[in-house]
Amino acid sequence: MSRKVIKSVTNLYDKKIERLAEVPDEKLPPLKNNKELKYIGRGISRIDGYDKVSGTAVFTFDKILKNMAHARILRCPHPHAKIRKIDITKAMNIKGVIDIITKDNTEKIDWYDGDTFIFDEHLRYQGDEIACVAAENEVIASMALKKIEVEYEILSHVTDKMTAVKEDAPKLYDWGNISPDANPAKYNRGDYEQGLKNADQIIEEEYNTQFVIHNPTEVHCSTVDWNGDHLTIWDSTQGIFAVRNSVAAALKIPQNKITVIKKYMGGGFGAKLEAGKYTVMAALLAKRIGRPVRITIDRKEMNLAVGNRPDSYQRLTVGVKNDGTLTALGMTMYGAMGAHRDGAGCQWPLRSLYKCPNVKVEEYHVAINTGRSRPFRAPGHVQGTFAFESIIDMAAEKIGMDPIEFRLKNYAEVEANWEIPWTTKLLKECYKQGAEAINWKSKRNKKAGEGKGPVKRGVGMASQIWWGTGGPPAYATVKLNRDGSVHVLSGTQDIGCGTYTILAQVAAEVLEIPVERITVSLGNTDEHPYGPSSGGSMTASSVTPAVYDGALQIKAKLMSGASALLGVREDNLVYSQGVIYSKDDKNKKKSIQEVVRETHEQILVATGARNARPQGVMLNSFGAQFAEVEVNLETGKVKVLKIVAAHDIGRTINRKLLENQFHGGIIQGIGYALLEERVIDHYTGKVLTTNLHNYKMPTIKDAPEIEVIIVSEGDDQISAIGAKGIGEPAIIPTAGAIANAVYNATGVRIRTLPITPDKILNQVYNIG
Amino acid sequence: MEAQIKFVLNDEIVECFENPALTLLDFIRKHKKLTGTKEVCREGDCGACAVIKGEINENKIIYKLINSCIYPIGNVNAKHIVTIEGLNQSEFTPIQQAFIDEAASQCGFCTPGFITALTCYLLSEEQYNYNTAVDAIAGNICRCTGYMSIRRSVNNLIDSVNANWSHKLSRIDNLVGLKIVPEYFRGIQNKLMEISTDVVKTIRLNEGKRIICGGTDLFVQHPDDLTDSENEYVSDSIASEITETETEIHIGANVSFEQFNRSDIIGLYFPGLHEYMHLIASLPIRNAASIAGNIVNASPIGDLSIFLLGINAKLILVNNKRQREINLKDFYKGYKSLDKSDDEYISKIIINKPSENFYFNFEKVSKRQHLDIATVNSAMSMTIEDEIVKEAHLSFGGVAPVPLYMAKLSKDILGRKIEPGLLQYVVDDSQNELAPISDIRGSKEYKSLLVKQIIKKHFNVLFPEVFTAEVIT
Ligand code: FES
Ligand code: FES
Repeated sequence: MSRKVIKSVTNLYDKKIERLAEVPDEKLPPLKNNKELKYIGRGISRIDGYDKVSGTAVFTFDKILKNMAHARILRCPHPHAKIRKIDITKAMNIKGVIDIITKDNTEKIDWYDGDTFIFDEHLRYQGDEIACVAAENEVIASMALKKIEVEYEILSHVTDKMTAVKEDAPKLYDWGNISPDANPAKYNRGDYEQGLKNADQIIEEEYNTQFVIHNPTEVHCSTVDWNGDHLTIWDSTQGIFAVRNSVAAALKIPQNKITVIKKYMGGGFGAKLEAGKYTVMAALLAKRIGRPVRITIDRKEMNLAVGNRPDSYQRLTVGVKNDGTLTALGMTMYGAMGAHRDGAGCQWPLRSLYKCPNVKVEEYHVAINTGRSRPFRAPGHVQGTFAFESIIDMAAEKIGMDPIEFRLKNYAEVEANWEIPWTTKLLKECYKQGAEAINWKSKRNKKAGEGKGPVKRGVGMASQIWWGTGGPPAYATVKLNRDGSVHVLSGTQDIGCGTYTILAQVAAEVLEIPVERITVSLGNTDEHPYGPSSGGSMTASSVTPAVYDGALQIKAKLMSGASALLGVREDNLVYSQGVIYSKDDKNKKKSIQEVVRETHEQILVATGARNARPQGVMLNSFGAQFAEVEVNLETGKVKVLKIVAAHDIGRTINRKLLENQFHGGIIQGIGYALLEERVIDHYTGKVLTTNLHNYKMPTIKDAPEIEVIIVSEGDDQISAIGAKGIGEPAIIPTAGAIANAVYNATGVRIRTLPITPDKILNQVYNIG
Repeated sequence: MEAQIKFVLNDEIVECFENPALTLLDFIRKHKKLTGTKEVCREGDCGACAVIKGEINENKIIYKLINSCIYPIGNVNAKHIVTIEGLNQSEFTPIQQAFIDEAASQCGFCTPGFITALTCYLLSEEQYNYNTAVDAIAGNICRCTGYMSIRRSVNNLIDSVNANWSHKLSRIDNLVGLKIVPEYFRGIQNKLMEISTDVVKTIRLNEGKRIICGGTDLFVQHPDDLTDSENEYVSDSIASEITETETEIHIGANVSFEQFNRSDIIGLYFPGLHEYMHLIASLPIRNAASIAGNIVNASPIGDLSIFLLGINAKLILVNNKRQREINLKDFYKGYKSLDKSDDEYISKIIINKPSENFYFNFEKVSKRQHLDIATVNSAMSMTIEDEIVKEAHLSFGGVAPVPLYMAKLSKDILGRKIEPGLLQYVVDDSQNELAPISDIRGSKEYKSLLVKQIIKKHFNVLFPEVFTAEVIT
């Protein structure tokens, strides 16, 4: 099984991502057919279950080192200011304060692609970093924060994107407030104006979506320790290699002098994909004081400073013929990046969900005086899909067509942006099975809001497309011990989704040994081969094929070892359940333990690689969600009764974990649709929702019945495993489906998320 | 400022000197290095820090769930505190097994909180069923799983516990036998007896000291303040009785929300109470929060204040020299301003026993259905004789700087007949007394609208034959 190095190309948004990667030279042998699979596809319990239910799992938040100091960050209370002077004298005099770093006593270190520094004197949002204190404990550190005296020059601020784009708005940067990367970002396909002329109906609508915060349960935190010139970082991160590389660059030290470790972490959802300033600060402090440092941020900082889904204003135009054919799609959108550059767009659902020859998009990404946006579970697609699938629902109604029929009428058979076929696309099947499961025909009101009485019911649906599907480079090492037990190692992370378990399943499948004999170790930049960051629904689809390759290599080694030991040619041997037999003489056999022992090996080692992505085809996951809701028009309350999620996500590796991922994504989608919102007082520029008291996430009582239907089998053009990825698809269509269901129930169309009781009553009673 | 603290932590007696305002969570995680108990919100909103609290009451240990992040160490004297570490045994407990079988943890950060909450449920409820078990974990936030797998675990767990329960054995023998709690639980009562001798049994009035019962609000709003000041922490067993006379019900100031919820006396007169109480906070908060605290906090949307205003409750205020009685409706003078001097505290809340023709309803509208602060809440009570209103009290939260008692309206409708026309009169009249402001929970227009909607709802719920769906729309 030879290897080759290729330039792997992935289309992601309008970017072509090119990376060199070593991949298997040939297509790997396929998996057995489904019925014969013993581990892959089964609902195997988590192999890390014990640590989690017993509280013995050590998260980064729990990492304690001897003689450790505790660090806390002083943050700017104003939305926009310059530092005139910082005086740390009083704070330093507090007993137990060890050290304080600020812009005055540290070097300038570039951060956020050169937009700012670790400590900048220009503070661009409430929560911008000013100083970092190391103390004997957190209480003292917090006390010291209050004693640091900062003199500010208060600057005028702007916290609303539509104000920020006005000429006289206060500016955050030399380049103004609109990102040079998107002023506007344009896309044109066909002839949009002509497309509108060809339309029988033109629908134009405005939508707004809110900022939401990831709020994983474990806060962002690191514990760092220098040993001579070597730095070890325990970090609650979705990307250990990303952290290693950023910190190495920031501190100007070689990458081999840094080890980043992450074992268990309490969620991330995109907020923990990059290194945080806090980690660099902790490393600086630890070096200065010669002690390990633990740094944590609190829930308020979580809600101010470590990322959010950007908001959006979207003006959408749909041109449609009376027979249902889409002739033109137009979008002008503004999204707030927060105080530093980051993507804030959401055009992709509109560009790729349906067939439409004429498309025009303009996006403006706007800087405002709030914390910076970060990718949040399906960045862009969640905002975009809500608005686009809402207007599609309206278009269908306008021409008197059932929404599903309308979607089928405009079904894209080839990818519309590049005009290439998909490896697999089973969206039709999602519509069909989903509609059946929710009882679409009988539950849908013919006329929106036609139900009697103040409590109305209705159903609605929305579709989804996502990237995912993974790719190289991704590697995994498989080690077989003398006793037949196995280690699987990869430098990716399990952020809660169950990566530990599914990797064990793949190794178990190939080597035909029980999952209990397999240990999986992830999240160490020194000890593990490179694995991808855990984001974009790419971990399973990238790493499982690498484990597959590694395990196949081990099997090949075992076969050649057995061949030598038994004196039987390899093609005359069969491998079954960890024993290798001669085809001719079943008594001639060696167990894998015997092969390792008798060939005088201690362990067999092989490193597997993820195969190349197929070229000339497009890879996406698809799905449709259906919502049934109940709306009380007396109080305006919306209750989601049921969600059916029908998706094409390639192969299911573990049904239990897959369902979990779907449920979690859908509940976050319900939070997005109905509850969650970061609220800013634009006058003071301050965030009003800085705790879980005011930032409401769904509880067990808000969870409706959820039915998950997987319409797909493994997509073997993607990899031998054939998984597409599921983390993101789960959340994308939920809000759109709910909004459309609310309309079907009540006749009230809510165009601004979240759909709160006041918005419903305001429309029903025409107030506000 | 430090005080001596003596309690049982899991199976071990702990004796230490600590600032009584130190949170139990910090004590467990930082001082004891028991990191299985997690911290997520640090203000009682997520249940990640949930621990079990046991206390002897009439020779029995009563177990309750609390959020350790807002529970002062000053209050744990003579109690049994159980963390996830204190539940682990050589094999999985059935709760842990149920979580593993259904893959009910993803990242796992919330899981210890769920396990302790469910264990406490089994330690404290008289009967087990799926719905009440889910209620017991309604205060636990999980950002990953979407809760379905947790529900399935709960369902399996309850079935198997009920199937294997032996009615011949005591609760503790059952629980130990089923391996839900470790063997050492049997010896806890003796341990508690051993250390309970010198626990203070009364409220000590002391110049300048703030009296803190549950502290669920203070630990959210001013945790640092508490560390720096001298406070009197009142243990749960003090001033926490609900008693009755011929005409009145007397509620001790330290009665917790949950005690109020479960009181037979209260339940007799307010049969719908459980429904309302489920809308009010999570179980661990209801276990710790005191009724007097909610009244003194004076939040314009305090759920219990609104409830009590709607039945025209009275307060007994005491200080070193005297005792006086005041109507709750006269207690609120302005935003967070009370008719109470610094040295006074509430010793009792008194409500009149309702007569036969008494009608009562409570409503709450919030963004999130459960465990949310109300946008608007309201209580209405009426005594009706021959279809005529003899007594009425109507209260609203969230529409004025204080928990609002609608004094004028409550008077104006006396002597009126319960007939469809009354509704419009009440709706119109109600708008005179409101002063809502726009905030993150809603605009003032929306709140005024909600008041109208809620009044309709009150009448519809209480007199459905008169105020039918047609009448109210
Ligand atoms: S940490 Fe959230 S309730 Fe205590
Ligand atoms: S499993 Fe991650 S918060 Fe519950």
